[in-house]
Amino acid sequence: MNSQVEQALANLKSGNPEDVEQALETLQEVVYGFGMKVCGVREDAEDTAQETLIRLARQLKEFPDARALAVWLYKVAKTQCLMSRRKSKFAPAQMLSLDALMPRESGAAVPAVKSWEVTPEEIVLNKELRSKLKDAVLALPKPYRLVLILRDMEQLDTREVAEVMGISEETTKMRLHRARVFLRNALAGYVRRAEMPEVRAHD
Amino acid sequence: MTDRHCKQIFATLSEYLDAQLPEKNCRELELHLKGCRPCIAYLESLRTTVEACRRYKAPRTPALSKQVKAALLAALQRSHRSQ
Repeated sequence: MNSQVEQALANLKSGNPEDVEQALETLQEVVYGFGMKVCGVREDAEDTAQETLIRLARQLKEFPDARALAVWLYKVAKTQCLMSRRKSKFAPAQMLSLDALMPRESGAAVPAVKSWEVTPEEIVLNKELRSKLKDAVLALPKPYRLVLILRDMEQLDTREVAEVMGISEETTKMRLHRARVFLRNALAGYVRRAEMPEVRAHD
Repeated sequence: MTDRHCKQIFATLSEYLDAQLPEKNCRELELHLKGCRPCIAYLESLRTTVEACRRYKAPRTPALSKQVKAALLAALQRSHRSQ
């Protein structure tokens, strides 16, 4: 659960003008950030945030807790993003096949395992890697992109992602895995650590 | 990473990372990993990918315009009054 949303809901319900203003800024940051990750276009992210907040202001009393608000926020923001008028240059519609994404020993479209030699603790999002990650996310077909952003960037749990997307948890998990593998393959070669021992494609 | 067992393992790596894999499958996967360096390396690279996503932040959010903020505050006040 997004802890920012939890704090914002408490502030909104307090009625204190300063707290309410703080809550609006927090929620705008959450929705704008989500919009930027999904659409990749500033104007679309701004429209998404504005429209979502206006609807929230009208419906505030309908949210019993932060979880309900977070699911609602992302659901509305997702719909706004899907309706965005400005099409990003990345808008593929194809489905991802796990078989096609799987690394192979030879003749593969996927880079060899040895090109990736850094642990999660060591990863540093420098400018180049950030840019590569952003492009790779935008290159994902939207159904996969949305699931990945909601789960791994916004850090909703599987059930919440399924609710936002209106799909089953099984489909959520399937899409998430394919999206992660797609990203992993796209980032290979950008994440290295020279001193690690080489791991061959298959011993 | 081409044999049949690797292929089966490959399909379950995300659920394993998320601690959502059933216990039996988890044991099978860990047994396989003991003898398969490419699968270990791939799992770690996937874990690193997830970590990169978690650390990724969107660009700085522009401030709400005065008109939008005023409209939102007014709508929220109405919403409070009607509760």
